[in-house]
Amino acid sequence: MKHEIRNGPDFASLHLTLDEGDQVVTEAGAMMGMSGAISLETNMKGGLGGAFKRALGGESMFLNTYTATGSGQRLDLAPSSPGSVVHLGLAGNAVMMQSGAYMASTTGVEVDSKWQGAKGFFSGEGLFLLRCSGDGDLWISSYGAIHQVDVSGSYVVDTSHIVGFDEGLTYSVRKGGGMKSLFLSGEGLVCEFTGSGRLWIQTRNAPALASFLHPFRPVKSKN
Amino acid sequence: MHIEVQHGPAYAMAIAHLDAGESLVAESGAMVSHDTHVSMETSTNATGKKGGGFMKGLKRALAGESFFQNRFTAEGAAGTVTLAPVHCGDVVVQELGQRTLFLQSTAFICSGMGVEIDSKWGGAKTFFGGEGLIMLKATGSGPIAFNAFGGIKELEIDGSYVVDTGHIVAFEEGVEFSVNKFGGGWKSFIFGGEGLVCTFSGKGKVWIQTRNPQAFGEAVGGKLPPRD
Repeated sequence: MKHEIRNGPDFASLHLTLDEGDQVVTEAGAMMGMSGAISLETNMKGGLGGAFKRALGGESMFLNTYTATGSGQRLDLAPSSPGSVVHLGLAGNAVMMQSGAYMASTTGVEVDSKWQGAKGFFSGEGLFLLRCSGDGDLWISSYGAIHQVDVSGSYVVDTSHIVGFDEGLTYSVRKGGGMKSLFLSGEGLVCEFTGSGRLWIQTRNAPALASFLHPFRPVKSKN
Repeated sequence: MHIEVQHGPAYAMAIAHLDAGESLVAESGAMVSHDTHVSMETSTNATGKKGGGFMKGLKRALAGESFFQNRFTAEGAAGTVTLAPVHCGDVVVQELGQRTLFLQSTAFICSGMGVEIDSKWGGAKTFFGGEGLIMLKATGSGPIAFNAFGGIKELEIDGSYVVDTGHIVAFEEGVEFSVNKFGGGWKSFIFGGEGLVCTFSGKGKVWIQTRNPQAFGEAVGGKLPPRD
């Protein structure tokens, strides 16, 4: 299989060339175009329990598996938001991905949701994480650019800007400053990472755009 | 302090490098990330200058900027803060160097402690602007970072130049401006789609943005389901 990221960093898309028998798993809705000799199977990888956990993770319940039935088949994929696509190679290691950041992977990569429980719950910003582990290729996407930070010690990120991080990093969600800051600073909740490993953050966040657009919505007329 | 810009022009982010003990003032909500030893404090008077924190906050709020601002301080060691605007677009950093800059109200991202941010009520001539043409006034010295919606274009005004009010990002104090309706008479004003424009005259720099937030809001927001 060959892969190439084009139109980046602002409107990145992923272009794969599959040989017969090659398989790729993608988030539902990512397919932009493809050659004729590719079969599609939509499944709930990991069974109903796994799919349910993935739905909690903010990813759609279903993942699509594309299998090339001929050689030299093209599969073109696009993420939903304007922004970047980054390729990560996994070799027995694991990365944690923010909901929505997962785009595609090869079949050697296992995608599992990891319910964050209370500490994710309090963030109110969907800090449900997908754990991607195994051997193979993983592609992730962002809203805005992806900025890599090599954490050594500790580092603080606004929860809505997190894309993903190496599993080796430990983290906790807390408010940005004092109590006054929580309500007045506009910064909401932050995630503090400790240890050493890679952290990917996105330079824009969708909730802020949604807040900007909200006042432009039409007003419901009475009756 | 040194502020660098990365990932521009479409999704630019400001990366502020603070020396040990150094602080910066940032627009509320702009923070993306920071080193753990960088502290954040929220106040109406983040530069700590004498006089009227509350009133300053109120004036900023009237100008469409936040009532509260955040101050980030690198405690004990040098540290970085990354900051990003809401919209896609570019970020520009300027050293004030005793110049005075006027910024469109939502353009401000962050500035050094030597920069004082105040609002300036444009009076009747901008009142009719209706597009938030109450400007923030940045005085003092030090770096200031501001953002555009879309690309940003720096223009050297010498003579006069007309800009749609929704496309103004910032301008230097030496430049005079007046707001008026566009073009030839009422027909152009109502049907020309340009609304109000700002005529700049004199000598100095003007920064304009290649997209208009109001137009974008109307284009997308108008298609959303109605709110109650």
